[in-house]
Order: sequence, then C-alpha cells, then structure tokens
Amino acid sequence: MQFLESVGMALRSLISNKLRSILTLIGVIIGVMTVIAVVSIIAGMNRYVADQINALGSSTFFVNKFGITMSEEDYLKALKRKDFALQDMEAIKERCPLCWKVGARAVAFKKVKYREKYVSDIAIAGATANITEISDINLSSGRYPSEFENEHNRRVVLIGWEIADNLFPNQDPLDKDIKIGGHYFRIVGVAKKRGTFIGQSQDNFVLIPITTFNKLFGTKRFMSIFVKVENFDSMQEAQDQVRLVLRARRNVPYDKPDDFAIMTSDTFMDLYRTFTSTAFLVMIGVSSIALVVGGIVIMNIMLVSVTERTREIGIRKAVGAKKKNILWQFLVEAVTLALVGGLIGIILGGIIAKVVAAFTPLPASIEAWSVITGVIIATSVGLFFGIFPAMKAAKLDPIACLRYE
Amino acid sequence: MLIKTENLWKVYEIGNEKVQVQALRGVDLEVKKGEYLAIMGPSGSGKSTLMNLIGCLDTPTQGEYYLNSRLVSQMNDDELAYIRNKEIGFVFQTFNLLPRATALHNVELPLIYNGTESKERLEKARKALKMVDLEDRVTHKPNELSGGERQRVAIARAIVNNPSLILADEPTGNLDTVTGADIMKLFDRLHTDGNTVIIVTHESDIAKYADRVVHIRDGMIEKDERLK
Repeated sequence: MQFLESVGMALRSLISNKLRSILTLIGVIIGVMTVIAVVSIIAGMNRYVADQINALGSSTFFVNKFGITMSEEDYLKALKRKDFALQDMEAIKERCPLCWKVGARAVAFKKVKYREKYVSDIAIAGATANITEISDINLSSGRYPSEFENEHNRRVVLIGWEIADNLFPNQDPLDKDIKIGGHYFRIVGVAKKRGTFIGQSQDNFVLIPITTFNKLFGTKRFMSIFVKVENFDSMQEAQDQVRLVLRARRNVPYDKPDDFAIMTSDTFMDLYRTFTSTAFLVMIGVSSIALVVGGIVIMNIMLVSVTERTREIGIRKAVGAKKKNILWQFLVEAVTLALVGGLIGIILGGIIAKVVAAFTPLPASIEAWSVITGVIIATSVGLFFGIFPAMKAAKLDPIACLRYE
Repeated sequence: MLIKTENLWKVYEIGNEKVQVQALRGVDLEVKKGEYLAIMGPSGSGKSTLMNLIGCLDTPTQGEYYLNSRLVSQMNDDELAYIRNKEIGFVFQTFNLLPRATALHNVELPLIYNGTESKERLEKARKALKMVDLEDRVTHKPNELSGGERQRVAIARAIVNNPSLILADEPTGNLDTVTGADIMKLFDRLHTDGNTVIIVTHESDIAKYADRVVHIRDGMIEKDERLK
C-alpha cells in the first residue's frame, strides 16, 4: 500500500505547486539532459564513423610517410622523410607473401573544367586499378580506370557524382573530355552519390591512374600504399613483413624507429575515440556539477516542505504513523521529484539531440542505455539528497508538531 | 478498567539552565469503559499534559499508565504509534485535517497506517462519515467545509478505527455557540452508542455535557465529581 500511496501523494504535492516544482527540478533536468544529448550525439557519430572506417575493412592497412601527426612540428618532421614511390609498392608485392592485394594512391587538388564551366579545388586521386578492392566507391555508369590504362599512363578518369552534377547537368558525361589541372582526360565512369561525412562532400573527386598522376602532377609526397590481406588473422604478420621490406629499402638503422607509418582501421578508430572521449569527459563534468547542484536544491526544497508541513506530520503521527512511515513518505516524494526531473531531462536531451542532428552535420542516435542511466541517476539523486530531510521529518515530536503555527 | 494511572508525573526541562517545570505531580485516575468524562482546569493546570499522556502522544517522567490493561507508559515511539492508531481517536480544537486532501482521504488516514486494504478503507471511511451526517460531502476539501463540518470530519476520522477511547481537546473552541452545541450533541450520540469519551476543556458549559468532571489544578487532581 504504502508505496503507491506515497507516490500518489508525492505527485499531488508536485502538481499543486507547479512553479516551485519546476524551479526545484532545473538542476536535475539540466544534468540528465546533458547526459542524454551528448551521449546520443556521440553514439550517432560513433556509429557513423565506425561504418565509414569499417568500409575500409579490417583486412586492409595503409602505409605512408606521415602517419597521424598531431602537431605542426610533427608534420614538418614527417615532411622531410623520403617519399614513397611505386617501386616500393612493387617491392612489397614481391617480398610480402601475405600481402594479397597491394596498390597505391595519392592525392592533389586542382581545377576541373568542361568547356566554360569549371569547379575548383577538386581532389584529384591517382590510384592503381586495384583501388576497387578497398574502395567503397560504387559506379553509377561506366567503369573504373583499368590496369592496362594504368600501365600506359592513359588519361582516363572516373568522376565523382558532384562533378557530374556540376559540369554535366543535362547530359551523359561518359566519353566526354574534361580538363584536369590543365590536361585533357576522357571520362570512363561516373560514381554513385556517396553523400557527406561530417559536412564534407564525398562526391567532389576525380580518379585517374596513378602513373598518369605521377607523370602530370609530380609530387609523390602524399602517396600511400595500401595492402589487403586475405585473412584477417594474418594482418599483424603482413604488417611485419611490410615493415621489414620498407626498412631495408629506406635504409633505416636497426636501432632507429620507422620513418613511415602503418595504419589500420583501428588506428583511425583510436584517434577518433580520443576526440570523443574528451567530449565525454567534459559532459560528465558538466552534468555532475548540475546534478549535485540539483540534488542540493531538492534537499533544500524538501527541508522547506518538511517545515511547512510540520502540522501535517504531527497529525499523521497522532493517528498512528510510525517513524518509518513518515521517512518513507518524504523519501518517496524526493525520489518522485527527482524522477520527474529526470524524465523531463531525458525528453529534452532527446529533443536537443534530434535538433542537433537535423541542423548540423553531426548525427545522433538515442541509446536505450543512456535513457536507463538517466533514470538511475535521477533516482539516486533523489535518494541521496532526500534522505536527510526525510529523517528530519521522521524524528519530529508529534506534540511539538501539533502546537506548531 | 479502560484507563488506570498511578502516580503520574511529568517534568519538563526548559531552556539552557534546564529549569524544571512540573506539569503533572502525581495523578491517579481511573476511567471505566463507556464513561463520559470531562477534564477541566485553567490554563497551565496540566490538563493538556494529562491529555497527551492519556492519548499516548508522550510518556510520563514517572508513574504508570495502563490502557486496556496494557502498560503503555514504558512503550517506545513505534509501539505508541501503534496504540494511538488502534485505541485512541483524537479530536482537536483546530480540527487538524490535511488541507489538500478530501474529507474521505482525511478519514481513511488512520486506516492507511494500519495496512487496511483500499476497498475496505473506503467502505469504513464512508460509514464513519455517514455516522456524522456528512455522506454528501465526502469529496470536499477542508477549505470547502464550514467549521462545524470540519470538526465532524475530524470526529469521523477519530472513530473510523473503532478505538477504545475518543479524546477531544477543546472541540468547540473554534466554533460558534450553535455549532458547538451541535458537536456536543454528536459526542452525546457517540457516548450513547457505547464509546468512551473524554473531553478536555476549560469551559464549564462544555464540561456539563459529561457524566463526570475531573478538576485539575497545578498538576494535581483537585476534585472528581459525578454530575449524573
């Protein structure tokens, strides 16, 4: 009986004093809301990024001279290292038995023009034909540049969806000639639309054979070699083989570290995680402060409530309420109060997450566990901060209470 | 014997210097079941203190109090609460109803604290309200009721658990003469129905309704007179 009775009384009490209830709950609402909103956004991003990174496959790794540089100093140091060349790729193909598919790619940024129309700052990707092994680029029409064309430095290109949309709005781009960085190329394929990744369009690229790329656009600075293994289990060993080959080729002394980097999808995930963990920690900090403040507010309001209802406590005791009845009543009120705040916080947090997802590039995914966590947090705050006022109420002397004005 | 007190003393310590105030100084009282008794005395006579002890709201500093042959003067808080719930029905001068609850909810309050089931509670509460002629006011809140009606609700609450004793503290103190008389008639009716009624008052007009008046002064019983 007691429980439902108390919950009912608590809710009645809350409703009869709406303004005070809302002011009381602001702290808890903000605390829970922050948790839900941030967790939803991070979860959405996690899912999205994981999808993207996993599209690479867990059987693929990259090698380039930069790795992931976190400061300008590191970047400049890496810049000075020896560039990679296609010969390195060949060497790996030869001497790394576990490396099933080996290819290379590089990127530069140039203007792409058709007749009078042009688009600037397009990513010009040069790659070996087997880029298809690791790429998630799907064809809308036509084909990829072939191995043959790669071997013969042919000027053929696969264009991204947005290039097609911008330069060929009403016609079929296939077999047309466009100018890339001042050189003519024939379009052999159009890619399907890929959409955006954190606000960046993924359809603003062109793909040409890497040999052509190296010939025309020179710099091998940003060339990466990619390796796909047949079996996920051989990833580590394959990386070791590659490392051996490259260290030898680049004359790295046995006691010095690699002057290049091998990156797997894990590398990227770890990097991504360090960014989000900061956001996560900030969120925990903010919501903890809000929750503690909110809890103290609830405690104070409950203390006021106890004082206001001194007479009532006296009446209840006079008709037979025991200490634990009174304790329970006020504790349930505190928890109910906190839970209502928690629920409002959950709803608001969800709304914020949805709004952020709708109006910014960030995605959001409302996770069940975060809602449950929100409920648990709210309940705990209610219990922890409600116990003191409840005990105070329970200990009151009935005679003194009944005399209270 | 419903009530038997032996040499009841109550001493309070007031303030920082712990000044001793002797509110009751050796009270011996016996009340039979079904009696209608008034306890009368001026302000400061100790009548409120005596009422608190009889009503098990407090325990004596010294002496024994047997209620229905149970020694209640040594009981702890929870035991006293139980006794209050089962055996005592309080009626106060200021009514002491829960302001935000309906008449029905107010009357069922004692039943809630002894674990009665919801359906039974509502039945008993309705019955009690009927007995005080308020069956058509069950959903009203106290601020929607007149003074006399509020006191009736309080009386209904006092009898809902079928207590051994109805204890009223200046029940007509906040009512006009006419309404006051109505309430005293109600107490008469309750007494005729077999209830034991004790009225604590300082007004002789009210004390006259009872069969017996116990006069108290300076913490001791001065006179114990039978009126009828």
